[in-house]
Amino acid sequence: MPSQYSLLKESWVMILMYTLALIMIFVLTFHLLLVSPLTGKSFDETLSYSFVVHNLTYYRIVFGLLLYAAVIHGMNGLRIILLEWIHPKRAQWAINLVIIALIAVLLAIGTYTLIVV
Amino acid sequence: MSSEEQEKGYKSGLIRSLNPKGFNLERYTYMLHRITGVILALYLIAHIFEIYHVGLAVLNNNPQIWYSTLAELSSLGILEQIGLWIVAGSALYHGANGLRLILNEVFGMLLGKPVLPEYPYSPTSLSRPQKAAVYIITAVVVALWIWAGLYLLAGLGVI
Repeated sequence: MPSQYSLLKESWVMILMYTLALIMIFVLTFHLLLVSPLTGKSFDETLSYSFVVHNLTYYRIVFGLLLYAAVIHGMNGLRIILLEWIHPKRAQWAINLVIIALIAVLLAIGTYTLIVV
Repeated sequence: MSSEEQEKGYKSGLIRSLNPKGFNLERYTYMLHRITGVILALYLIAHIFEIYHVGLAVLNNNPQIWYSTLAELSSLGILEQIGLWIVAGSALYHGANGLRLILNEVFGMLLGKPVLPEYPYSPTSLSRPQKAAVYIITAVVVALWIWAGLYLLAGLGVI
């Protein structure tokens, strides 16, 4: 295996970013279609309690996939931007830690929501 | 430029990176990809907390919890719709441009053939197919963004 692909190198993180982006192209499009005029409902009607609960229950796996892909891709994207602007080692270490904590909190809240609905 | 001035320039990197003066087409798409990415990431955090209220409503068997969350958001008035419109545009652009970047960076498509650098060093990555892809993406995203705007305005009863 080439050295640039050693485990936990940023090159693997970038491959993960591309993979999650491709997954999101499909699941996010599906999510947007559920609140689009193609449902035959107005935007307000797509936010009704029964419709939202039905979607979250019926498409739980799709929304779970979207949750995990979006949180990891989005928060890692923020991390990359911050690391490019902030260079001191200690600050970069703190950024990594804060982003990992943020990912954990968001996934915990999102997963909890999908489980109880 | 003295080393002190260079250091000052380095420290103002954030501001300078957002100054579009002298950018080429690719650099504009790069800047827009980052800005829309930050918008989407911040919206994602808010959206997860918003949807959490659906869970609370189900758990307490009280749909009012969800409707009061919607009412709080509606109290922002037109700002809520404008915010959603910006998020919709960001998602459309970030997704479409992201697909182009995957074609570029993963599959090596739309890039010109590598050549020895010669003055004035015009980037081969800005080939005709690459420019065409950027223009097509922009046209499709703008069209869909206008459609999303009309849909959101219709929801407000404006049109």
